Amino acid sequence: MPDLHKRTKHEIEGAIYEGALAFAGGMIERYRLKNGLEILVMADKSAPTVSYFTWYKVGSRHEKPGKTGLAHLFEHLMFNETETMKAGEFDRKFEESGAETNAATWFDWTYYYESLPADRLPLAIELESDRMAHLVLRETQVASEKEVVANERRFVVDDSVEGTASELLYKVAFEKHPYHWPTIGWMQDILGFSPEDCASFYDTFYAPNNATIIVVGDLKPRDVVTRIVTAYGDLPSAAIPAEDYAPEPQQTEERRVSIAQPTPTEKIVMGYRGPAFGDADHAALSLLIEVLFGGRASRMHRKLATELEIAAELKGWVSTFRDPGLVEMYATVREGNTSKVVLHAMDHELERVRRELVTEEELARAKSRIELALLRSLETAAGKAEQIGLYATVLGDPAGAMSRLESYRRTTVGELRIAARRHLVDARRTVILVTPENPTEDAPRSPVDAEVS
Amino acid sequence: MTTRFEMDGAVVLLEESHALPLVSITILSKCGAAHDPSGKTGLARVTTRLLLRGADGLSATEIEEKLDLLGAEASDDTTASSTGLQVQAIARNVEALADLLSRIVGAPSLTEEELARLLREMDAEQLEQRDDDRTLAERGLRRAVFGDHAYGRVTTRESLSKIRLDDVRGFHSRFFTRKNIILSIAGDVTPDQARRLADRMLSRVPPGEPVPDPTPEPVQKVGRRLLFVDKPERTQTQIFVGSLGTSAHDADHYDLVVGDAVLGGSFTSRLMREVRSKRGWSYGASSRLDMGRKRQWFYAHTFPKSDDAAPCIALELDLLEKWAKKGITPREHAFIKKFLVRGYAFDIDTASKRVQMAEDIEAFDWPADHHTAFVAKIKASELGAVNAAIELRIKPADMAIVVVGTASEILSKVQAAIPGLASTEVISFEDV
Repeated sequence: MPDLHKRTKHEIEGAIYEGALAFAGGMIERYRLKNGLEILVMADKSAPTVSYFTWYKVGSRHEKPGKTGLAHLFEHLMFNETETMKAGEFDRKFEESGAETNAATWFDWTYYYESLPADRLPLAIELESDRMAHLVLRETQVASEKEVVANERRFVVDDSVEGTASELLYKVAFEKHPYHWPTIGWMQDILGFSPEDCASFYDTFYAPNNATIIVVGDLKPRDVVTRIVTAYGDLPSAAIPAEDYAPEPQQTEERRVSIAQPTPTEKIVMGYRGPAFGDADHAALSLLIEVLFGGRASRMHRKLATELEIAAELKGWVSTFRDPGLVEMYATVREGNTSKVVLHAMDHELERVRRELVTEEELARAKSRIELALLRSLETAAGKAEQIGLYATVLGDPAGAMSRLESYRRTTVGELRIAARRHLVDARRTVILVTPENPTEDAPRSPVDAEVS
Repeated sequence: MTTRFEMDGAVVLLEESHALPLVSITILSKCGAAHDPSGKTGLARVTTRLLLRGADGLSATEIEEKLDLLGAEASDDTTASSTGLQVQAIARNVEALADLLSRIVGAPSLTEEELARLLREMDAEQLEQRDDDRTLAERGLRRAVFGDHAYGRVTTRESLSKIRLDDVRGFHSRFFTRKNIILSIAGDVTPDQARRLADRMLSRVPPGEPVPDPTPEPVQKVGRRLLFVDKPERTQTQIFVGSLGTSAHDADHYDLVVGDAVLGGSFTSRLMREVRSKRGWSYGASSRLDMGRKRQWFYAHTFPKSDDAAPCIALELDLLEKWAKKGITPREHAFIKKFLVRGYAFDIDTASKRVQMAEDIEAFDWPADHHTAFVAKIKASELGAVNAAIELRIKPADMAIVVVGTASEILSKVQAAIPGLASTEVISFEDV
């Protein structure tokens, strides 16, 4: 990978140049510091802005039962006090610079980002390096953020029909693997965290050798890397513990759970045990799901929503996790129909793709739709940085979105059918059926009360 | 820099950018939901969506397949003052897309069968909206702030059931005409190519006549009015506190924008600090000034757990009163000006955002320099003028308070938390 011809140009004291990768009309330059910090930087002059992402290789999969939600709690705590900066000052400094800041946590990772006017980039380098090593975790801040997260959980899970069903899907589909618990955490765990829990997690996972910085925008890569070396170069690396979890055992029979919710219509939330993001089948399966669920011309939508008029909303997607995840499907049942009828119709369409080839035109449409989606995700510097970060963190391939696009282009209808046969196996699926709440019926209200049938 | 030209009465906007092989096209009528006949709210949206359900010998299915094959995605966007189609596509297919759009906009089939199917779909969507507490609260706020005014109307299952094909055809023939249309093209096209594309897309659109907006200015309602949307088993509430807000034609518009940003327009705003950071009551806490052709609404939004709803409302009203009476401080003023001026870079960082700004000016009859003057106006804003604008435009004594929650558990506490409460209306979430 190192480009020997350009070695001199890319030589920066304190940073090891690891090569360049073509990405969306630009070049990602890859560097690494002696403490293990990975830097991916790309000039993009399409707007006078810059996006600065820090991806940590820590997510809810690194938690333990009883302490779920800790990775996500950090998404909040990291905006608080550091040894040299009072609570609230972090946000004030960025807002004063006109920056947008936010963060996200998922099973495999956590990221933080700032999008700034290009001339304000040094601020992001200064403040991100500071909170990587000098966060202060006091009782008052932990207590307040626990309350905020509890409210976030009520919003996205407890008072959300789809959120409740989705959480239950993963809880039932995964019995051993950490994908079993929700990234936001169980409510009792969220409310039970102490500052000591947080400090231990921070010391373990927040270190330069567990992070990748992605910088995209109106910048000079050499200047950016030089600044990063100065800001981060002295931060110590940490001994990141080896992961210790049990792989998910094979699922050999369908799992099905019914819950009652305060909703006007029935819903189906379903997950087939699917491939990891890096699995060779992932591209073919993603295209197949696009054929089945992508837009109004897709098979599921045309059959169930347009022709039979038994379903309203239909969605499907393949998880992009490091370990094997789920092929998720979601359907809302039209008033006057039942989930039994809708599931039967979905099963019929799924059986068709296992048995027959999809048409060449269906595949061509799916490829075009996926290409459009990728282009849309690359419109801003932040969009580009996020794509680079996802592929770098989960697959170790910063330009993976581009090679994935090539994979889509090469995929054949035969590969879609093989992927369907390999992954859309009824014995390896979990089905959550949501019924409208009715006191006269026996379906349990809460997932906690639900029994796996 | 967005280029503007006219093509036989239609306004065409072009924002050229070759950063990505992507093109965004919007075909918008300057007539929207405010033109819906009484009792038939939803007609503008129905008409726009029906454009995609058959045209010039193509069935709905054929249109959907062609769009997918071109790597294009179309959606409808309807406001009180506009309705139209937004399409994004892979640039290499834009010529074929223009041909397709000319057929969709110029020669839609508008059949009974497709209308009936669409109305059944939209009826199902209305039902599903009952799952979304925030949407329920926003519908309640519309009703509470605007009342019988056109901006207060919401689409319902009943209003959809009254829409007939003649209504749709009438809306289309009157409002989807050149003299009411704005066509925007942004992205990977050259100016010459854009002119050819625009000419082709508009080739079958009749000239028509400009249609005036029938909407009067909304009138501020007086007193504190509680609209409680009752929904069972809520662990959390959705709360909006709102009134009329700003107009692009107000001399103090930018001053009010500055004042609102201090109250709830950033992560360090007063609402965020008091509601979320200090008390942990709500995941989000913000305020907003929406914009339209006529004066739109101002609101503060929070979503605390049910037990915290009453104290949260009391706190919000107190914050509003202090903000309106005492204004913002010099320090807040200096800070927020930097936030707004520097953050403007993210309002214009893509071609589609830049053309959207020009489109808003055309669609809503805003001053031509509404966006381009933003930075200069904010920089020039003075503290006294900001505080005068807040005091003039926002009356904490005349707020609608909308709560989605479980009435049996918290209604009386919420009522007690609102000083000077003038009226209470409780409605089921199924009726909002």
